[in-house]
Amino acid sequence: MASSSPPFASGPPRPRPGFAPSANANVAGAPQISQIGRPVPSSAAPSAPLQPSPFSAPLPASSRPGHPQFASRPPAAAFPQGLVASNGPQGLAAPRIPPPTHAQPTPPVGAPASIRAPSPSAASSQAQAVRPFPGSPPAAAASRPFTSPPSSQQFGRPPISHPLSGSPTSQPPFGGPPTLQPPFAGSHPALAGLPTTQLPFNRPPTSQQFGGPPTQQTFTRPPVSQPYMGSQPYAGRPSPPSYVGPPSSQPFPGPPTMGAPSGTPAPAWPSQPRQVLPSMPGNMQAPPRMFGMPPGTPGHTMPPVPPAMGNSPLAGSQISTPSKIDPNQIPRPLPSSSVTLFETRQGNQANVPPPATSNFVVKDNGNCSPRLMRCTMNQIPCTGDLLSTSSMPLALMVQPLALPHPSEEPIQIVDFGESGPIRCSRCKGYINPFMKFIDHGRRFICNLCGFTNDTPRDYYCNLGPDGRRRDADERPELCRGTVEFVATREYMVRDPMPAVFFFLIDVSMNAVQTGATAAACSAISQSLADLPDGPRTMVGIATFDCTIHFYNLGRASQQPLMLIVPDVHDVYTPLHTDIIVQLAECRQSLEQLLENIPNIFENNKVAESAFGAAIKAGFLALKPTGGKLLVFQSVLPSVGIGSLSSREAEGRTNVSSGDKEAHKLLQPADKTLKAMAGEFAEYQVCVDMFITTQSYVDIASISVVPGTTGGQVYYYYPFSALSDPGKLYNDLRWNISRPQGFEAVMRVRCSQGLQVQEYSGNFCKRIPTDIDLPGIDCDKTIMVTFKHDDKFQENSECGIQCALLYTTVYGQRRIRVINLSLPCTSMLSNLFRSADLDTQFACFLKQAASMIPVSSLSQVREHITNLCINILHAYRKYCATVSSSGQLILPEALKLLPLYTLALAKSIGLRNDGRLDDRSYWVSLVTSLPISLAIPLVYPRMIPIHNLTAKEDDESLLPASIPLSSEHISDDGIYLLENGEDGLIYIGNMANPEMLQQIFGVPSVDGLPSQLVLEQFDNDVSKKLNDIVNEIRKQRCSYLRLRLCRKGDPSGMHFMSYMVEDKTPGGLSYVEFLVHVHRQIQTKMA
Amino acid sequence: MAEELVGTGGAASDPDGPDGVRMSWNNWPRSKVEASKCVIPVAASIAPIRTSPSILVLPYQPLRCKPPCSAVLNPFARVDFAAKIWICPLCFSRNHFPPHYAGISEANVPGELYPQCTTIEYAPPPLDHHSAQSSAPPPPPVFLFVIDTCLIEEELGFLKSAMRRAIGLLPDNALVGLVTFGTQVHLYELGFADVSKIYVFRGIKEISKDHILDQLGLSASSVRHGAAVGMPGYPKAPLTNGFHPSGSIHRFLLPAADCEYALSSLLDELQTDQWPVEAGSRALRCTGIALSVAAGLLGACVPGTGARIIALVGGPCTQGPGMIVSKDLSEPVRSHKDLDKDAAPHFHKAVKFYENLAKQLVSQGHVLDLFASALDQVGVAEMKVSVERTGGLVVLAESFGHPVFKDSFKRIFENGEQSLGLSFNGTLDINCSKDIRIEGIIGPCTSLEKKGTLCADIVIGQGNTTSWKMCGLDRTTFLTVFFEIVPSERSNQSGIPNPQLYIQFLTNYQGPEGQMRLRVTTITRRWVDGSNAEELIEGFDQETAAVVLARYVSLKMEMEEEFDATRWLDRSLIRLCSRFGDYRKDDPASFTLNSNFSILPQFMFNLRRSQFVQVFNNSPDETAYFRMLLNRESITNSVVMIQPSLLSYSFNSPPVPALLDVASISSDRILLLDAYFSVVIFHGMTIAQWRNMGYQNQPEHQAFAQLLQAPQDDAQVIIRDRFPVPRLVICDQHGSQARFLLAKLNPSATYNSAHEVVPGSDVIFTDDVSLQVFCEHLRRLVVQS
Repeated sequence: MASSSPPFASGPPRPRPGFAPSANANVAGAPQISQIGRPVPSSAAPSAPLQPSPFSAPLPASSRPGHPQFASRPPAAAFPQGLVASNGPQGLAAPRIPPPTHAQPTPPVGAPASIRAPSPSAASSQAQAVRPFPGSPPAAAASRPFTSPPSSQQFGRPPISHPLSGSPTSQPPFGGPPTLQPPFAGSHPALAGLPTTQLPFNRPPTSQQFGGPPTQQTFTRPPVSQPYMGSQPYAGRPSPPSYVGPPSSQPFPGPPTMGAPSGTPAPAWPSQPRQVLPSMPGNMQAPPRMFGMPPGTPGHTMPPVPPAMGNSPLAGSQISTPSKIDPNQIPRPLPSSSVTLFETRQGNQANVPPPATSNFVVKDNGNCSPRLMRCTMNQIPCTGDLLSTSSMPLALMVQPLALPHPSEEPIQIVDFGESGPIRCSRCKGYINPFMKFIDHGRRFICNLCGFTNDTPRDYYCNLGPDGRRRDADERPELCRGTVEFVATREYMVRDPMPAVFFFLIDVSMNAVQTGATAAACSAISQSLADLPDGPRTMVGIATFDCTIHFYNLGRASQQPLMLIVPDVHDVYTPLHTDIIVQLAECRQSLEQLLENIPNIFENNKVAESAFGAAIKAGFLALKPTGGKLLVFQSVLPSVGIGSLSSREAEGRTNVSSGDKEAHKLLQPADKTLKAMAGEFAEYQVCVDMFITTQSYVDIASISVVPGTTGGQVYYYYPFSALSDPGKLYNDLRWNISRPQGFEAVMRVRCSQGLQVQEYSGNFCKRIPTDIDLPGIDCDKTIMVTFKHDDKFQENSECGIQCALLYTTVYGQRRIRVINLSLPCTSMLSNLFRSADLDTQFACFLKQAASMIPVSSLSQVREHITNLCINILHAYRKYCATVSSSGQLILPEALKLLPLYTLALAKSIGLRNDGRLDDRSYWVSLVTSLPISLAIPLVYPRMIPIHNLTAKEDDESLLPASIPLSSEHISDDGIYLLENGEDGLIYIGNMANPEMLQQIFGVPSVDGLPSQLVLEQFDNDVSKKLNDIVNEIRKQRCSYLRLRLCRKGDPSGMHFMSYMVEDKTPGGLSYVEFLVHVHRQIQTKMA
Repeated sequence: MAEELVGTGGAASDPDGPDGVRMSWNNWPRSKVEASKCVIPVAASIAPIRTSPSILVLPYQPLRCKPPCSAVLNPFARVDFAAKIWICPLCFSRNHFPPHYAGISEANVPGELYPQCTTIEYAPPPLDHHSAQSSAPPPPPVFLFVIDTCLIEEELGFLKSAMRRAIGLLPDNALVGLVTFGTQVHLYELGFADVSKIYVFRGIKEISKDHILDQLGLSASSVRHGAAVGMPGYPKAPLTNGFHPSGSIHRFLLPAADCEYALSSLLDELQTDQWPVEAGSRALRCTGIALSVAAGLLGACVPGTGARIIALVGGPCTQGPGMIVSKDLSEPVRSHKDLDKDAAPHFHKAVKFYENLAKQLVSQGHVLDLFASALDQVGVAEMKVSVERTGGLVVLAESFGHPVFKDSFKRIFENGEQSLGLSFNGTLDINCSKDIRIEGIIGPCTSLEKKGTLCADIVIGQGNTTSWKMCGLDRTTFLTVFFEIVPSERSNQSGIPNPQLYIQFLTNYQGPEGQMRLRVTTITRRWVDGSNAEELIEGFDQETAAVVLARYVSLKMEMEEEFDATRWLDRSLIRLCSRFGDYRKDDPASFTLNSNFSILPQFMFNLRRSQFVQVFNNSPDETAYFRMLLNRESITNSVVMIQPSLLSYSFNSPPVPALLDVASISSDRILLLDAYFSVVIFHGMTIAQWRNMGYQNQPEHQAFAQLLQAPQDDAQVIIRDRFPVPRLVICDQHGSQARFLLAKLNPSATYNSAHEVVPGSDVIFTDDVSLQVFCEHLRRLVVQS
């Protein structure tokens, strides 16, 4: 099979199963260079707002727009204003004054069509600048330059003074007055000028010292209008309302003088060459901040909350002043719903990408879009020692088919004709903008292996005076970080496979009686319209209980023919042809069959499930072509190959005898399914599972199959025939209609000095260097970790190239090449400054997930806590200026790390009280989760919805989120919490009946089922809520399982378990956690 | 020849007598030594349920002798009317009549004591504990069709039309099931209303019955899970007291009236096997698995009630158990030569498989019928055991379009005159006087291994028992029982030896309408002093003897390696003639034989040349087929197989029997040969010319037309009564088809003697000896000292 041959190996490129190199047939009439990456042509965008939102209709049956619903998401349509151009400059030139105090983030109007990808123009700084907190001065943090890096202080609160630390944070905004720098700069260059978040524990800070804004920033804008706050991130993080501080009260030069005690080493920017480049926002550093001080603004009404640290060991170390941490001042994510423009490179320097969760538009000018690939640090340490000193992970998150922002330029397709793409003859790296042409263009040096290649004659071009090829800007492969090459015959071992979709439906008694079968049939039936058109789309269907039932779709007669394979220990296919047929030929009979299946099995009394045998049978049907196997499973596989036992019960009894081996239940029960999955992958069969169940199904065991074949698990527990069909349908629909590829092989190459250590994600690996992906889609992310095998020169660049060879749904074989070139540094401070919080956290998350099956939960929690502590410790030890041991000093870029770490420790996967399946599902979900969804998964978004009517400003659709703390929940409130998977609506026990009436159509929710179908009633609140939910659905590419949580019953407890900042029986509160972290660091320091 | 014809057509229109029993020896030598000197085994051909209008049916339970004899009261019993006592003629036990026989007297005897009622039937009301349900209808017949789909379109078309006709003929209450097979086995769930539901089994893997049941949801465990009872989609089946199989019955076996439409539409849509056949390969066909599945299904649904698996097979089994040849076309199907040299790699495995299948079927009481229609072999030789042990029918034809298949197939389902009277679940018990032991039975039955004092040490065929199972039997089923004479010391010494011996045959069976019957046949024969050849000769039945020998030699050929049948037959004949012929030593000319023996040499001559002994002209399949029919046919028909009958038609004379000799060929005659498997109408050259010129159509040649028509009519008479339907060959002298006749004729004129041939006559191109030469040699050898 194809997979056995490593296509990217250093040998000659080996063909993969694929299609002929012929013209780019896919994009209509696309010439050599065409667009991809957008499921819907941009022309669709304007119309999108008019379309029914994909999620708006809870029942799939009712919403079947002509367009695939999901497909309409990427196009931006959402933000009709198209403000990018005007807004950006505005933001740069003059930070906008935020609206008056009561202004909430104003949701962009009419943004329904865009899911997840925020519009380019979006919202603009106006929305971002909104301070929800009443009384906050309007001037606060208004400026949000598009070009500025996200690293800035997120608290939106103007630091008033800096207590003791005198840390590097005090940075003159204009590049640092030399007077402050000299004394220290020389001696502690590495420490200087780091953006830092400091939490003084030992005394209430009286003022916050802020670091100067990055120098570049200061050059580009008038200082007056650009408070340091201007570095506020544009990430779409909700801003806690209470953090608003008036920037105006904070004079720029002030902080240094006020906050920086002369005794502390002055923060000095390391004099980096690029510092002088005005156009390098990537290097901009967030101004260091101090936290924990009471807001200096008169409008701030929240009193300082006494820190809950009375018994903290830290208290002992406090010398004089009582420790006070204002919970409102500790780092929390800030909201941002506006769109920024991100240029991947400027002035031949890599820019630091905005946070993954923020709304940005990428301009690819050399480096790839961070959506496709981003690194845990935006500078590469020159040596492995430096990396280990930092304690930070060096890893890459690759989401090779990630959806672009609708406003982005599509990825261009390059066809080199029969000769195929230019590659380095030694390492087989693909031509990219970082290959250096020398000798008048006759030769080029590979940026990955350093080998000097001869330029093929056909490809020769003169060099210009700048040393670049004259045609560099015309050739996408020389000026774009991401391009797609048309694969030639060499890259195929067979013709590209057709798009084959095989549906497998559980019809055992439980599945039928719970409505899961009917839901699956209905979902499939409706989704047929969303399958790719054309003769290459083939479908097949089978059902199973204790036997497997195939259906002959090739028959002309009306009555379907059911072929039963009863041998579930040794399965086979019952027909040679007609099991899988062209969709166009069988659409009618298939629809009729799907309609019939629930009736046929209406009285099925077979409770057994031969799941393993069924997927094997499905595989056998797909074996000749490969394809997608979509399994709808409802009960624990109980018979036939791959049958499983109910280990959960076993686990329960074992609990009494000690919990030591509990994690074993999170490992696959045996190797059968793993072996099967390997075989599936070999024949390019990708398995997706939709688990619609009421009971334990041993996801730990069965998720191996999707995990190995590039598929995914969807989990509906407990399945509700009332509320879940909508999600099932939307999930299926997105699954089959999202941008995706088949029979893929991926390989990451990097410059000499680094080497790939490991890949992790949903794939099958047969040889060390490549991973096989029977299916790859826009939602799948693969983590790649690196290790040093050599040193880099300071100031050199490290190139990373990911090549994905795959077949499109239209049967074209492509190679997507994604390039990233990052500067190398030997300065630890640079590493911290360029650290990418989101990516690092995603990395931790995935590490934790991989540990869960092999370690006890307490070990995993300890491990991730230690990861966090070690990083902060490294920073404290090597980068932060010496200050009172009573201060917790956080690197600015990573200041949310403790919060996320805490949230992770309390997440479903790491909680002690979770069900086995919930935990296994969480593990399986996390394994392929994109960065942009990783953070919401552990630190969900909570928004109040009881005061929706109060909003008149419609600019921002989503109200600002509030911290996940029970303090922010009032009994008369109604809240929506979402983590990308579930949406919980919490209703306080004193909620306004009128509001309930408006939202739910009943004055009291007592009678409502907890599995909610959100209806839209004819009132503004209901409309607004529906709009909000739909917006979230779009953002997350997920339909959300809505659940109703009432205070005082288990559902309310469930909701409260998401309040990660609270103290729980098994976990610390956020403040306590910070204290804990601080104490640990102190211990280490001592 | 003449005698035989007289025998069949004349006085004894029923040569088998009212009891349907014919014996090689009707007077039995009393000693073992004498018996062995008789050469021809003491054997009886019996027809367990031959229809006969005169049979009395008694509606009550039979009266039985005390165990272990358990013989049924019969006309040979001595009855003391006064004491109300009867003495069993077999064991001489005295039995009291039960109270309900109180009214018995010389003037009022029950039917079973009528002297002419040596054969009688009991039809007792069903023993029913639930008297309320005593009127429960008898179980319906069950037909499970197993259809080969690895056929060319044309053959499949023929097959479908045959099936359609059969479905039309099925009684409404008959339960019908359908299995098709090719590369895989398809079992149709006819009772599933919403869609056509088919269970698919792979053809390469042998699966046990339990597995099959599990997989069909018919096993006890799955029934417990409710799989069988609550299966969706079919109309609510009436559940009888939660009786286990009732639910499953209606999934796969449906009354013909209910599923006729479904069956027809399934047949309409039935396609040839879709799995690809590689070039240079045979189609993959899993006959073995298909039959396993069918047997398993019947075993689960209708155990113990009469059911037939009707297998329609169009080629060799090439995969899975029961495979007879690999799919590779370069490997030919095994021949007799291969079998002799043990060069048939699959043969023994396949036979073993079919033996096990037979065991399963017998234990369930089900029948396997085999309709093989192909130009090449399909594995009848291997499947023979399954068919024969279960009492199944077998038909071998060249094509599903051939009348041999079409008409035979139709006969199964026909009622009335043409009915075969197919019955089920027969059990034969034999009881006999002391000094007699039973060696075994050759014929369509299975030993039930019920050992007893009556079992002989020597076993012939199905032995070691006094009880046999016949899952399927019909009114033309015949069995050959072999006896051993073992005089006990006491009987020799006793002064008044009982001159008569008695044998009682008890046959329990389920009639065509499902009714349970017990047929009792009691026969008596005479003991004679073995030293008196006269008495023995008087009781000799040479036709039966010839057939018994033919069956016996066929069996030996199958069972014994290196068995030289011809030599064995020759020696037996010589010994027999030495023992019973009149001659002077060393004077061949003096040799004469009693008329009771007179045609035996001719039978032997033809038997030596027959397909039963000379197997190398036939495929193993054909041989197996011939022998199966030989073993189950009546003596009369079996004699025709050994020595065909020949009728001659000519102007100015009625049809006359002709010598089975090439000399009977004449240009102005029409010959009608009945060789059982084929019926040949042979037109002499002149006749053929006239016919070709159309004289028969001219009014002035009415006589010629009649002459042409007469043999046709007679052939139809033969064909009509025979199952399987013989192949009708109409040929002309010197035509290619004439070989069907010539092969059977005594080669009195060969190319060696061509110069002596009368014009218009014919010669046979052979080196075989003629009857005359054979007899000369026989005479010479017999009289040698």
